[in-house]
Amino acid sequence: MEKVSRRHFLYCSAGLLCSAVQANAFWPFSVEAGAAAGPADIRGYVFKGDAPKKLWKWSREGFFYTKLDNKVVMCGICPNRCLLSPGDRSVCRSRVNMDGTLYSLTYGNPCSMNVDPIEKKPLFHFKPRSKAFSIATTGCNFRCLNCQNWEISQAKPHEVRHHELFPADVIKTAQRTECESIAYTYSEATTFFEYMIDTAQLARDNKISNLWISNGYINQKPLLKLCSVLDAANVNLKSFSDAIYRKLNGGRLQPVLNTFKTLHQQGVHFEMTNLVVPGYADDTEMVKRMCQWILTNLGPDYPLHFLRFFPRYKLDRLPSTPISTLVRFRKLAMAEGIHYVYVGNASYPEGNNTYCHNCKKLLIERIGYFIPTYNLDGNRCKYCRTVIPGRWT
Amino acid sequence: MQILAIRYLRDVFFIHGTSTGFYPTFAFTFFTIAPYCLVLGFVLPYSLFVIRTENPDYPGTRIYIIDNLGDVSGGALFSFVLVFLVTPLKAVFLANLPLLLATYLLFRNSSRHGPSIYIGTGLTFVMLVTGIFLEPSSLKPPEGKLVHYSESRYGRIEVRENQEQFTLFVSGNPLYGNQNLSVAEETIHYPLAQLNQAKNILLISAQGGMMAELEKYKPASVDYAELDPQVADVQFRFGLIKRIPGLNVIHQDGRAYLEGSHKIYDSIIVNLGEPDTFQINRFFTDRFFALARSHLTRQGVLSFAMKGYDNYLAEPQRRKLSSLYNTVTDYFDHVLLLPGQKIFFLCSSQPLNTDIPALLVQKGIHTRYIRGYYYGNLTRERIERLNALIDPTAPKNRDDSPRLMRLMFMQWFAKFDSSPTGFIAVLTILCLIYLMRISAEEFVLFSTGFTVMGSEVLVIFAFQIFFGYIYLQIGMIVTVFLAGLLPGAWFGDKLRFRSKQTLAFADGLLIALMGLLILALQYGDRLPVTFFLVFGFVVSLICGFQFPVALYLRGGDAPAVTRTFSADLIGAAFGTLVINVLLIPYCGIIWAATGLIGIKLCSLIVMAVCNGKSK
Repeated sequence: MEKVSRRHFLYCSAGLLCSAVQANAFWPFSVEAGAAAGPADIRGYVFKGDAPKKLWKWSREGFFYTKLDNKVVMCGICPNRCLLSPGDRSVCRSRVNMDGTLYSLTYGNPCSMNVDPIEKKPLFHFKPRSKAFSIATTGCNFRCLNCQNWEISQAKPHEVRHHELFPADVIKTAQRTECESIAYTYSEATTFFEYMIDTAQLARDNKISNLWISNGYINQKPLLKLCSVLDAANVNLKSFSDAIYRKLNGGRLQPVLNTFKTLHQQGVHFEMTNLVVPGYADDTEMVKRMCQWILTNLGPDYPLHFLRFFPRYKLDRLPSTPISTLVRFRKLAMAEGIHYVYVGNASYPEGNNTYCHNCKKLLIERIGYFIPTYNLDGNRCKYCRTVIPGRWT
Repeated sequence: MQILAIRYLRDVFFIHGTSTGFYPTFAFTFFTIAPYCLVLGFVLPYSLFVIRTENPDYPGTRIYIIDNLGDVSGGALFSFVLVFLVTPLKAVFLANLPLLLATYLLFRNSSRHGPSIYIGTGLTFVMLVTGIFLEPSSLKPPEGKLVHYSESRYGRIEVRENQEQFTLFVSGNPLYGNQNLSVAEETIHYPLAQLNQAKNILLISAQGGMMAELEKYKPASVDYAELDPQVADVQFRFGLIKRIPGLNVIHQDGRAYLEGSHKIYDSIIVNLGEPDTFQINRFFTDRFFALARSHLTRQGVLSFAMKGYDNYLAEPQRRKLSSLYNTVTDYFDHVLLLPGQKIFFLCSSQPLNTDIPALLVQKGIHTRYIRGYYYGNLTRERIERLNALIDPTAPKNRDDSPRLMRLMFMQWFAKFDSSPTGFIAVLTILCLIYLMRISAEEFVLFSTGFTVMGSEVLVIFAFQIFFGYIYLQIGMIVTVFLAGLLPGAWFGDKLRFRSKQTLAFADGLLIALMGLLILALQYGDRLPVTFFLVFGFVVSLICGFQFPVALYLRGGDAPAVTRTFSADLIGAAFGTLVINVLLIPYCGIIWAATGLIGIKLCSLIVMAVCNGKSK
């Protein structure tokens, strides 16, 4: 065999190392690291110079904001605390700085309104079998990759068809359609705060309940104001991980947890939803930690809904959540001590029903939105007279 | 390496489980494919340079012919053999073995036995083999486990098991699952609830749970047409759909099947995805609706669905639904749209009833999802509002003018809050800069590359419209579009008289051929399949013929070869893009073919102007 020279040896070794490095390069990118890969934070940004030239009919000065130097304003509604120079538009797309004053562009112009069964919100412990008049304008302070209403939540007010429905008209429509409540829902109600508060105040005067269906991303002061007119809420606890909040939703976890605590302290009835996204929010340990936090900070009585994920919007390359995962989480949460745990978006009848936490008997049987069995006497279990948490009438 | 890089790096640059917008997709594919493309582009002129160091008179055309020979044989090997037998990385391994051998043989006899040659060749071999072993892990899903993987002619088929749930993925998209009861109930019961009797049903594609719902009607026959036999097989194997009495599985394009069948159905249920490809668009056009109508009983119901919305119908979607509605109402007196997670179109000659749960109760058919959720989700207001939002002036979706595809394209951009304008502007500027720097002969080749690829897309599309998606025949069309280049180049090389007039004459022939295509398309499915094959062959023959002539006129040295080859390839790239993305969706196939005539007329004008100047 030919003698190998030093140069040959070095060439060959370099070649070998290069190949080895290439092969090894795949190692840290293994699919197990899927949830950790990609951009870590998808939070939104202020739209610089994107405000309209003139205000339109559906504009109102914002309720919570601070005027800073050089006509800069800081919106105080949500933890994004957008710093807006004149002509800028907020992260949620609904608020603009016009010459040093903050305006909401979504006052009285809902782009979606429907009459929904209250169970659809979902609110299982609030006036069952009643109807909710649901309204939404455009805008959201999150950027959820799986948003089911992205056509309005990720749109600017002028980009959609909308109705004109000022607060008084909302009340009239709710009354006309025999709705016992008004739900501020679909997109993110916090972003049309002024419209929501004024409507809610009027609704309360007319004995109509107010429902806040939200991601819970709101600051303390506006939330306290909201609580003064709120009857019930469904707040989405998207996961119990700040990293997932930043990656999938473009938000942070802690402000949402603070919202739950405030609602609890203010005595507002609320229910929690947790969308179980495969590969992200289906970690048993995380769910256990979430349940422990709920029990410690809120107690066992607030209903928790585990919702089934379906591929939606940009998060459409994942399979749906297996039903058994939801069933397992329901059992886990109940074993941890939460009294009322439900399974949503899935064909699992037991997970829709309400059972007394004391005597375990069936109180409310739900077949979708249809309630064939109702065994509550006022707010008490018909069998053992235990008070069932919620607002039943 | 490249295939693996694409699979692994996707989850590095993008969030796992997400789809991506145009610009990120473009950047990702550009950078992952660029190394391979650059090497490929470099090899051809460099090979000529190397050959000419030993043989200075080696003709540039010959390398073009040899390259085409490789294209044809590689294309045929992959389309007709490897795709049936092996996975992508195995195909890469097999296809690269001759390349490895050729590279080894390139070394002189004396140096072939050196250790660096052995190690280099060995390492390359090991890397190719390693790819095969890394392939399964590159497909391993983070959620659940991969229980089935195969490559069919139509895409990558995977079945993933996550606990008790099986999900069928086709080319990376979760298509069907075994736990989607709501979709199964809606798809089957919305149309069948309208019928007095559901004896004969045609399902064009099916998904989890549908057969079980169908069985409740005790139909005499259920014809299930699924283009990809492997999709049907895995659905049965993993229990996504079950075999019910009277079931007849048809492994054929659903539209092609209907065209060849005389059977009359009580209901035709189209369960296909969104019309984002030419192939799927064909199931939502005027001709298809006419065909479906002719295969239905008097009370028969045609049903199909588009992606739904929860609470707001966005504008591109509204235009899409309007276009569909206006198209289908020409053939059915009653068309009802039902909103929800999918928007169902029910089409019949008889009035349709929106109270589906009541109809099902009358028939004694038990459902879980519809019974519990229909009244809450599909309120009268929601149904009326959706139907009122339809724009009666929206243009219809036709086979030769696929408007829905254009709207899907717009919807894709809207979803990612972006616009194609920037891309088109940059591309146009780059194209203009390039066109200003090339010679007349290169422009001829640019326009020829444009025409040949553009007409290939046109012919494939037209073929699918008339005959359905028939893999082997479409594979043959692709092959003849390559195969004609070879004799064309040979003939052009042997031709004694090679001048600009020759190029102009060939351009004239191409224009005549495109004109012939426009005329021929009027005959529709009466055209024989051989027409498409002969047309493809002749177009590529002329394209191949022009290359050596242009090269001869450019001087035939290595830079000339590089430039002429580049002109041909760049023209081909633009042709594919412009015809696919702009001309067919926006103008229809006739105008797209006219556009190709236009580009060839430009070529003639450029030749005439340059000829005038040189005189």
